[in-house]
Amino acid sequence: MAAALRPAILRRIRLSPSPLAAAASAASHPHALARWLSRPMSSHDAHLTRDEVVDRLLEVLKSHPKVDPSKVSPEAHFEKDLGLDSLDTVEVVMAIEEEFKLEIPDQEADKIDSLPLAIEYVANHPMAG
Amino acid sequence: MASRSKLSGIQKQVLSLYRGFLRTARLKSPEERHRIESVVSAEFRENARNVDRKNFVYIEYLLRRGKKQLEQLKDPDITGLSTLEINKCPAGPTVEKSPIAN
Repeated sequence: MAAALRPAILRRIRLSPSPLAAAASAASHPHALARWLSRPMSSHDAHLTRDEVVDRLLEVLKSHPKVDPSKVSPEAHFEKDLGLDSLDTVEVVMAIEEEFKLEIPDQEADKIDSLPLAIEYVANHPMAG
Repeated sequence: MASRSKLSGIQKQVLSLYRGFLRTARLKSPEERHRIESVVSAEFRENARNVDRKNFVYIEYLLRRGKKQLEQLKDPDITGLSTLEINKCPAGPTVEKSPIAN
């Protein structure tokens, strides 16, 4: 039965133009196919928008006990504008890690001294959630 | 405090140690975490205020002591830090074993 159906099935598949087109497209854009295949399983589907990153970072900063919330803006520098010292800055960066479920290595963390740099770091981090 | 781009090597070590304490505190119960954070923050701030920035020998000593305490704190049997009257306690915070472990 299966043997008898086989030629018919093969003929149908060959005649159908769309799988061929898809295969050709996949061959010329292997990464596009890989992306498409991984899409349903990816946990980064709902990647954070930059606006969301900015809003949540502003909230983290405003909630730090030493920060005057009225001074917090997306351009703020932790030390110059918000009056934070280096220990405060460590606390802020740790709070950012918790907010976005990241672990920021020391080398990177030492560089984050302003909201623009924090926004840049989180927005470009593939694991930020 | 110096601009962030000019953090010295020893400053980076101090900040890294502070970060290590805060990371380790996250692994403890919420109350212990809060207590550890208060004690550690008070200790670092007290030393930042009172220790001469150029007294490298003493800062290096504090770093070594802090690293040892951090290693002890990482032990899951250690529930937290305790200090009794920080100002009168030259040895700084001591680690506290959980009653279960004793």
